[in-house]
This record gives sequence, C-alpha cells and structure tokens, in this order.
Amino acid sequence: MLFLFKYRFLQTIREFSIMFWALGFPIILGTLFYFSFGTSIEAAGETEWDEIKTAVVTEDSSSENAKSFEIFLENMDGELLEITRVSSGDEALKLLNEDKVTGIYYVKEAPSLTVGKNGLDESILTSALDSFNQNSAMVRDVLSEHPDRLPAVLASYGDYRQSVREETLGGKTLNPNVQYFFALIAYACLSGVFLGVRASFDTQANLTALGARRSVTPTHRFKLVIVDMLVLVTIHFADILILNLYVTQILKISLGDDIFSLLVVDLMGSIIGVCMGLAFGSISKMDLGMKMGFSVGLTLFPGFLSGLMFGNMKNIIELHCPLINRINPAAVLSDAFYCLGIYNDMERFRRCILILAFMSILLLFSAFLGVRRDSYDSI
Amino acid sequence: MIHIDNLVKRYGTLVALDHLSLDIHEGEIFGLLGPNGSGKTTAINCLLALLKYDKGTITIFGKEMRPDSYDIKQNIGVVMQNVAVFDQMSVWENIDYFCGLYVKDKERRRELVEEAIRFTGLEDFKKMRPKKLSGGLLRRLNIACGIVHKPKLIIMDEPTVAVDPQSRNRILEGILELNQQGSTIIYTSHYMEEVEQICSRIAIIDHGQVLATGTTEELKKMIKTGETITIEAIALDEDQLAQIRKLPHVFDISYEEQTLKVRLSSAKHNLVRILNYMQEHDIAFGRVFSELPTLNDVFLEITGKELRD
Repeated sequence: MLFLFKYRFLQTIREFSIMFWALGFPIILGTLFYFSFGTSIEAAGETEWDEIKTAVVTEDSSSENAKSFEIFLENMDGELLEITRVSSGDEALKLLNEDKVTGIYYVKEAPSLTVGKNGLDESILTSALDSFNQNSAMVRDVLSEHPDRLPAVLASYGDYRQSVREETLGGKTLNPNVQYFFALIAYACLSGVFLGVRASFDTQANLTALGARRSVTPTHRFKLVIVDMLVLVTIHFADILILNLYVTQILKISLGDDIFSLLVVDLMGSIIGVCMGLAFGSISKMDLGMKMGFSVGLTLFPGFLSGLMFGNMKNIIELHCPLINRINPAAVLSDAFYCLGIYNDMERFRRCILILAFMSILLLFSAFLGVRRDSYDSI
Repeated sequence: MIHIDNLVKRYGTLVALDHLSLDIHEGEIFGLLGPNGSGKTTAINCLLALLKYDKGTITIFGKEMRPDSYDIKQNIGVVMQNVAVFDQMSVWENIDYFCGLYVKDKERRRELVEEAIRFTGLEDFKKMRPKKLSGGLLRRLNIACGIVHKPKLIIMDEPTVAVDPQSRNRILEGILELNQQGSTIIYTSHYMEEVEQICSRIAIIDHGQVLATGTTEELKKMIKTGETITIEAIALDEDQLAQIRKLPHVFDISYEEQTLKVRLSSAKHNLVRILNYMQEHDIAFGRVFSELPTLNDVFLEITGKELRD
C-alpha cells in the first residue's frame, strides 16, 4: 500500500498542469484579488476606520448632563468622529443636506441627534448617543467625584468600532472584500476536482491504456481507487495549506485564530474536492478533454454561487433560496471559513463540517459505483 | 493452457468476434494474424476480461477467466498495443511500479526490475522520463513493464507498431528469449514476416473468425501455391500469357509493369519448364526469382485479399 502511495504521489505532483489548476491558479487569483482591492483588504477585526463627520450644535451647556456630553464628544473627536462645531441648527442642517456631515449632535440637557439617512455610520452615531444616555448617571458621578478619570470611563464604553463590528457578525462584515478570500479558498478546495478527474482515467480500462494495464493486474481495483484518493487528498490538503499560508502570511488576510478548526475545514474541503473529481471522472463517459472542461465549470460555478466573482452572491442566495447554500460545497466551505474567521459560531461550523462529510461519503460511494464495473462493453 | 470456445462479441449490429474458438498450448509462441479490424485486439481484451462478451467461454490455466480472477492475473503479463506508462515517472520508476502491482517483496522486485531493464537494453535510460525516449525505446519500456514480473503467460498486442527495424529485431529476439525461459506467448500482429519469424503456431483471423490454424508449414500446405516465379520480361502479348497459363501446375499469372508473376502448385522443374517456354518463343527476359509460399500467400488464398496495413 505504501509502495502504491509513494509512486502515485510522485506521479501526481510531477503533473504540472494538474498541480497548476489545483494550487497555482488559486494563488494567482488570490494575488489578483489582493492587488485589485488594494489596501482596503484587511482581515475582519483589523479594518481601517473612517471617522464619521459629525456636526455639533451647542444649544445649552449649562446642565451637568450637557457638560458630560460635551466631554464625551471631545473624547471621541479624532477617534470615532470628526466633529465640526457650528453655531446654529440651520447651519448644521445645511451641512447635513449637502452630505458634508452624517449627523448632528445637539448639546443640551437631553442630548439629541439628527441624521439624514439610514446606514452604518448613522447607526453608529445613534448607538453612541444611546450608550451615553444609558451611562449618563455614572458619567455625572465620575465627573463630580473623579473628573480626572472621566476619559478612561468614556473610553471603556465608547469603543464603538468593536461593538459595531460585533453587530455585523450576522453576515455583513465591515470589509466585504474578505468574503472573496473565503470564496477563493473554497474554490481552491473544489479544485481537487481536477486531481480526481485526472486520476480516475488511470483506473478505467475503457479510457486509457494505463487504465487497461492497471486493470489486468492482480491488485484489486478498489485498492487502487482508495490509494488514489488518499494520495490526492494528501496532496490537495498540502495545496490548501500552502494557499492558507500565502493568504495569511503574505497577503495578511486573517482566517481566524482557531488553527485546529481551520485545518479541519481545509481537510474536509480537500476531501470533497477530490471526491467530486473521482465521482465525476468515474461516472461520466466523456473523454479527458471534455471532462477537464466540465471540471472548470464544476469548480467555478459553485465558486460563483459562493461569492467568488460577486461577493454578495451568497447573501442573495441565502435570502431567496437558502437550500442552494446548504448543498453547494463551495458555499458550505465558505460558510465554515466565516464561522472561524468572523462569526465564531462553532455550532454552525460543526454543521458545515457534517454536511461536507456527508457529501464526501456520497461522492466517494458514487466513484466506487463508477469504477466497480469489472469489464466494459467496449474499449 | 488457454481454451477459447465459441466466443461472440457484438458492438450493436457489428459482429467483432464471430464464434471464435482457439486452443493455445503451454510453451508456444502463438501468433494471431489478421488485418487491422479483424478482431485480434477484441479477442485479447475478452481474454483479459476487460471486455464483456455475448457468448462463449474462456479458460486460462484450467480456470474460467473472470474480472476478479486475481490468481490468474498474477501469472499474466500484458504488453498493450498503445504504450501504457506514466509520463511523470522515470524508466526505472515505471518498471518498478508495474512490478509492484504483482510482486510485494522489495528485494525481489529490485532484482526483477534490474533484470527487465537488462533484458530490454534500457540500462542507459533508467533515469529518463518516457517523453525523452525514442519510439523504439518507448516500446521497449512498454514491454519491460509488461514482462517484469516473469509471468507464465505473456500477451503482446502488436508490440512493434511504429518501431524502427533495429528496435523491432531486438524486440523479436527478446520474445524468443522469453519463450526459451518458459513463458507462453500470445503475439498479435499484422506484420506477417514477424509472425512467420517467431511464432510456433499461428491462427489467421478475419472478420472475427478463425480462418486457419497451424504451424507456418502446415498453413502453407493448406494452400495451392507451392512456388511463385517472378520474371522480368519486356514484352508479352495476350497469346503468350494464355499459353503460359496452360503450362503444367500453373494456376495463376499476372503481368504488370513488365513483371510476370506465375503461381504454381508444388511440383518439380516448374522453373525449368517456364524458362524453356521463354527461350523456345524467343522472349527476352531479365532477372528471375523463385519463392516458396509465404504467409502472405496463405492469407491471400484464404481470405482472397492482401493483408491490409
């Protein structure tokens, strides 16, 4: 078995064209993504923050609450907000109408906010005001008893970048470009199809002379298929690890901190890619060129549905036909990466892994059915 | 050793094997001779249980040959018509890999691989990849992969197709040597000279049927042609040709491009009689050849056509 493994391994890794599609192409694609999106690509949780332009109108600063709010706003100026102080409400509204500011804070006994539209920045401004109101009593106490500690107190509940990011964990990351990299790795996993299809040819006597030669030996055909699968999964797993290293270490895209789970999803991705290839290669009756052509579609189309070409595609499908996202291996893989890198949802992650395992078993069984025929009608 | 009985294989309406029956004995080099499309490769594929057939039985080493007859397969070596090696592996690796599908012991395998490399004269090319080998060397590698495990039965399906004469001779010598070492060999070809040179028994097949079986001499005795005389003659008219046709033992003549070809049944003084006629009628002639019948004559007479290439 080890002997068969060794030679199949050597034979596969030396086949440049197949290795290119399985490893080289995803790396090139990732690099192109990186350069296309420029410096905006950073891992979720490390996103560049644009300060929100905000107008502040002081209507009445005599009350303690208004004073506290003034200090609160000053504390956030230059961090979360870019504050423009204006003397009148009309002037502030003019700025708002001209889209020069996102919102207007009114400093008074009961601070208020006016925004022009609905959006993420507007939500942040609202959230900031709500947070101040909820904690205003404590702020007043600190202000009266330990005014020197006020900035620290305000900072402790004023990190809206973090809170807003956590609120988006339902699938809308602050940087949608990261989605492309999850879809890319999912696509790379499915590229195992090329390895599987190519290998299936060497087992089928009706397609290649090599298949015929291997079929007339006393080595059981299932053994050959199992060895093929083990070799291909090993190689493809290594491909995906290399791609992960490239994405995380060279392109500096974070895929999460849970390395073990990441390895699990990489392994499952490799298995399902290879099994898809073995199943497709074994069942269909096309020649090698046709099968390779279809393999491109077999990897790119699920990749497209999972957001490889259009980042929001997966969310659109989730809204209109979520079943596709459950059975599309690229979408399930992408979802598993999300669970690790963004959601931190281990239950959902486990569900993804189970779906992938189930699909792999089905595909491998199909591959066995395809090659189990002992002799052929024509060669 | 091999018994094929009443084998029928159809592809739709096309009958590829038409009640084909053969017996091949241990120690033979058995030639399957027939034109392209005659059913040789189909018969081999059925024999190897690669191809389903509609009717008939095949037994090898006294057992029915089935796709899962791994004990039988252990003792069979196959040299495919198309070269079947891995382009990504070196000559040594390829031979070792295919040997490993039969032989598990590493040391034994090493010995066998070295022996196969010596046998096929590939010592200087061990580390080369197949794509860098010439056509002849590639065929030799194909043979080495098929015979490396020293099988009792070797099936060679047109192993010399597209091979230069030097490599072809080497391959043919190798086949004789394998036979001397104890292997029974089934050799398919549409090159009659090869079959005549190495095969101890021959079956002529066409349209999926066995037309004749026997040794070369037996096959030659089955036909009328005992001798073919070829004479370069500048001018022969129809009357003269008709008179030559009436000479004793002549049963066929042809005259094309100033060359007279006379086919005669086996008899003494055939050549003398024809030359006497030429001199008596003052017919100028040049070179004269007399040939004993070949397998080509056998094939021509049995099938009524030349062996197509």
